[in-house]
Amino acid sequence: MANGLNLLFQFLDSFAFIVLAAAGLAIIFGIMGVINLAHGEFIMLGAYATTLANIQFGLPLPAAMLAGVAVTVAFGFVVERTIVSGWLPNAISQRAIGRNVIEPLYDRLADSMVATWGLSLIMVQGVRITLGNSLDQIGTPLGNIAYGGFSYSLYRVSLAGVALAVLLGTYALFRYTTYGMRARATIQDEDTARAMGVDTERTYVTTFAIGSGLAGLTGALYAPTITMVPGLGSSFLVEAFVAVVVGGPSVVLGTTLAGGLLGAINATVSNLFGTFFGRIALLVTAIVMIRFLPDGITGFTERLRDRLQEGA
Amino acid sequence: MATETSAGSPADGSAGRLGRVRSYLEGPNTVGNSRQFWAGFLVALIALAAYPMLTNSYQVGRVTLFFVYAFLGLSLSIVWGYAGVLSFGQVVFFGVAGYTFGVISVNFATPAGITGAFVVGVLGGAAMAAVLGYFMFYGGVRDVYVTIITLVSTLVLHTFMAQTAGDEWTIGEAALGGFNGMPTIPNLALGVEGAALTFDNVTYYYFVLALLVGMYLALRVLVNSDYGRVMVAVREDEDRTQMFGYNVKRTKLTVFTLGGALAGLSGVLYAAWGNYMSPGVFELTFASLPVIWVSVGGRKSLLGALAATIGIEYFRNSLGGELAFVIVGALLLVFILGLPGGIVPWVDEKLVPWLQRIIQSRSTGAAAAPTEETD
Amino acid sequence: MSDGLSSRRGFLASSAVLAGTALAGCSGGTASSSDTVTLGILEDRSGNFALVGDPKHKASLLAIEEINADGGIMGNQIEVFDPDPQSDNQRYQELTRRAINQQQVDAMWAGYSSATREAIRPIIDREDQLYFYTTQYEGGVCDHNVFAVGPTARQQLGSVLPYLVEEYGPRIYTIAADYNFGQLSADWVKVLADENDAEVINEEFIPLSNSQFGSTINRIQEADPDFVMSMLVGANHTSFYEQKASAGLDVPIGTSTAMAQGYEHLRLDPPAMENIYAGVNYMEEIPTERNTREGGFVDRYFEKFPDAPYLNEEAENNYFSIYMYKQAVEQAGTFEQEAVKEALESGISFGAPEAPGDEEISLVPETHHVDHHMWVMRADGEHNVEAVDNRVIPETFLKDTVGCDLTQEDEETQYTPQDFYEEAG
Repeated sequence: MANGLNLLFQFLDSFAFIVLAAAGLAIIFGIMGVINLAHGEFIMLGAYATTLANIQFGLPLPAAMLAGVAVTVAFGFVVERTIVSGWLPNAISQRAIGRNVIEPLYDRLADSMVATWGLSLIMVQGVRITLGNSLDQIGTPLGNIAYGGFSYSLYRVSLAGVALAVLLGTYALFRYTTYGMRARATIQDEDTARAMGVDTERTYVTTFAIGSGLAGLTGALYAPTITMVPGLGSSFLVEAFVAVVVGGPSVVLGTTLAGGLLGAINATVSNLFGTFFGRIALLVTAIVMIRFLPDGITGFTERLRDRLQEGA
Repeated sequence: MATETSAGSPADGSAGRLGRVRSYLEGPNTVGNSRQFWAGFLVALIALAAYPMLTNSYQVGRVTLFFVYAFLGLSLSIVWGYAGVLSFGQVVFFGVAGYTFGVISVNFATPAGITGAFVVGVLGGAAMAAVLGYFMFYGGVRDVYVTIITLVSTLVLHTFMAQTAGDEWTIGEAALGGFNGMPTIPNLALGVEGAALTFDNVTYYYFVLALLVGMYLALRVLVNSDYGRVMVAVREDEDRTQMFGYNVKRTKLTVFTLGGALAGLSGVLYAAWGNYMSPGVFELTFASLPVIWVSVGGRKSLLGALAATIGIEYFRNSLGGELAFVIVGALLLVFILGLPGGIVPWVDEKLVPWLQRIIQSRSTGAAAAPTEETD
Repeated sequence: MSDGLSSRRGFLASSAVLAGTALAGCSGGTASSSDTVTLGILEDRSGNFALVGDPKHKASLLAIEEINADGGIMGNQIEVFDPDPQSDNQRYQELTRRAINQQQVDAMWAGYSSATREAIRPIIDREDQLYFYTTQYEGGVCDHNVFAVGPTARQQLGSVLPYLVEEYGPRIYTIAADYNFGQLSADWVKVLADENDAEVINEEFIPLSNSQFGSTINRIQEADPDFVMSMLVGANHTSFYEQKASAGLDVPIGTSTAMAQGYEHLRLDPPAMENIYAGVNYMEEIPTERNTREGGFVDRYFEKFPDAPYLNEEAENNYFSIYMYKQAVEQAGTFEQEAVKEALESGISFGAPEAPGDEEISLVPETHHVDHHMWVMRADGEHNVEAVDNRVIPETFLKDTVGCDLTQEDEETQYTPQDFYEEAG
């Protein structure tokens, strides 16, 4: 019984970690076709901003987390305008030499990977130079649940609830807001959307800001539980990528299913054999999934659904 | 792709044989198709050959490493620039080949053994690429997912190799060494006992340089041949190429395997250079270096990949301190945004004609219209 | 002639490589002149190991400054060659070559991790360069050119494990980083457990990149040990302590790696490090005269580096080994490296900050290791650290078990416990 509870909590912990790591990346990739290799560093930014707000400026933890998200959203906005769309350099160059110098990175997968990798190098080293090799850490709130000789951190289990809230919130965003409608139109067919009057540029800016905000939220949420070093983003990167790829094109459903599947595998194998095997199992599952379902889970289900519809 | 080529003999009709050689080496898929280019190439070669006599052994060793990396850059250029497969996993083949060389050469430290290790190492890199490529391409994995699988493979190998520390991870005399790595890998030697070519600091420099130049020229021939055109067709539009009857999967697999062999060659030369292999070669930072070199240099240009690898590594190596990473990151950003095609194609397509125009407009007496450019 | 002026594209394109490597022709650097001695100090100030490498660099500079102010070594001022290897082993290899071939350093201090040491050891051995390796490590390096002056795993674990067995009981659970150092340390735990009538009930090895410890914590709770031995390494693993505290796991933990190197007790919120016992030769908090008195080691360090966050274990190793080098040179009467190595093999001792009162620690001639004065330091609920035990622990593995004797025979090997102890296998 106790081991069953263990497994449940470990699953929730793993599920939360994977979903929260992947959320921001999935949105940006799904809508804009941009792979943000600096995603881990956006998480780091949110974590650092939260920690500084709490420790240096004395804000209570929830307010500090909001501050962390806000900082990351603002930074994401700046990055989008400067690097992803090239709007700012182009505006300057239009004045100076009368033409654009930068093409937007939308749908340029390889180039966006390279550009954001450069950004991540700058961010990590920049933070190291300005803030040193590590920050003092915030303690984890909420204590623990004890059951039959075991105990689990209540905070980490509750992150699963937050992850679910994020998923539901994203779903609601896509379904019920004008932004959501524009975003869905853009994913489906950008040219037609634009022809029908959708301001795709504004959609992209908002998308990038939301994706950054989600990454910042992940950082803010995990700040009390991991060490504050400039390189902390890299420990989220693997799970994020793997979840996005296994999940497939549908942002919300894909991330949920990927989180569920990978989280379950990671938790079970770790529970039985230790973290090393849990890690390997996660990576091997990802490779196998990609091999047999190259469009991810939701890509597969979509094709299945299309085929069933045709048959009916 | 309607650029004209200077196929056939040059204008002054000299050496039909020279012209024939050049016709193999030149074509629309590479930069530099004129006599001036080859003249410049020769000058650069002579300078590089003279370099060891002008400097000390430390510098020679340093530059040799850059040459070794150039093979890795070329491997990505072939795979990405010419066949459209962005692979973060070239270092997987690099590392596997390096370790294979290490294991075999430590166990059989005779010249014959080391030569065998050299060959098996390169083949090992190729084999690994063939396996991974088969898995991906024949499984229908496309585009970004290929990239992510190669990325994940790199991470799997890193996690795995880092924990091979115990005595059970010893193959014969060679301990894999886990995170600490495998030291005491012997220098490269080719041949058999009694008739072997062994290398010291300077001769290894010349060996690697010669190999690099030879490989570059061979790749030029490949890329400008009919097969090269198929590669480029696959890069440009897979479906259309498929419809024309070409076996796209097999092409991608073959090119990917060739890339694996090149990366493997780089790995073997690296292991012999530093006498050391460690899981550090599977780290994300090192895995992304080839992408950086090739992006900045121009992925569709062999010369770009080569020059950028050497240039960037030299630059990175000379910069010390904290700001180094920031500058490399900024450099990368600026180049990928401003010159997404890379430096060398830009030089070839924009800078040089611009300079020519300036020079020609200076020589105001040239009332005659410029002669038709044949390159 | 317009023909010659036109069509430069190829020429320019292919000369790019020429231009790049021509710049490399500046050889720069000079050999040390006759009134100075050059010491190579290669310590990480950026990259993964910056946190623990920076204090090593700083303490080295402190020692050198003090010696120079006191007249230098045999009247020669010390010059330093100290580029930043950026936690990159390839850079280490390259900078080691540069230090030896271009700068011609008289002695070298380099590297934090064992991987770094192993990456440069072939170069060191090929050039017969005098080399001090100052980080705590798994032990077993018997090499003519290497003076491994940091404590070995057997010394560190051997100080804290017996104490914890006495205090809490014989059932031990090991968690360790999944690589050489961690695995070898775990082997030593088994050997020491056997020597102290204790038992290792389970071991878990955790990949270096892992930062989530939910299942690890549960498995520890399931096993219900008397205490845990932790050889976790690196920033990702530091998260374990915070996570275990928030999960309510309060079993005592003995460690050789935490607190003394990365000062977790200052960076993490209490009570994350409560009941952690570190077995170390030095930490900023150890209560010796030389360390804590007015104008002592701690005071001098922070006077020179007021913004430094902490004075860690390895920093002291760099500090005292530089002084030992000075002694050896003075004894040999020359800077010539083979003579200095022989002098180092004659039994040098020094009053290092880790030794209480007037005691000195000695460099063992046969093994090139140090018989350290070891401390068991415990952190309480408010992260105050105090010493609960201390004594000299000699290096016994190489000297007694392996029989490494560098005064008689030159060697360049690393030995592991698996070959000598059944329990470790």
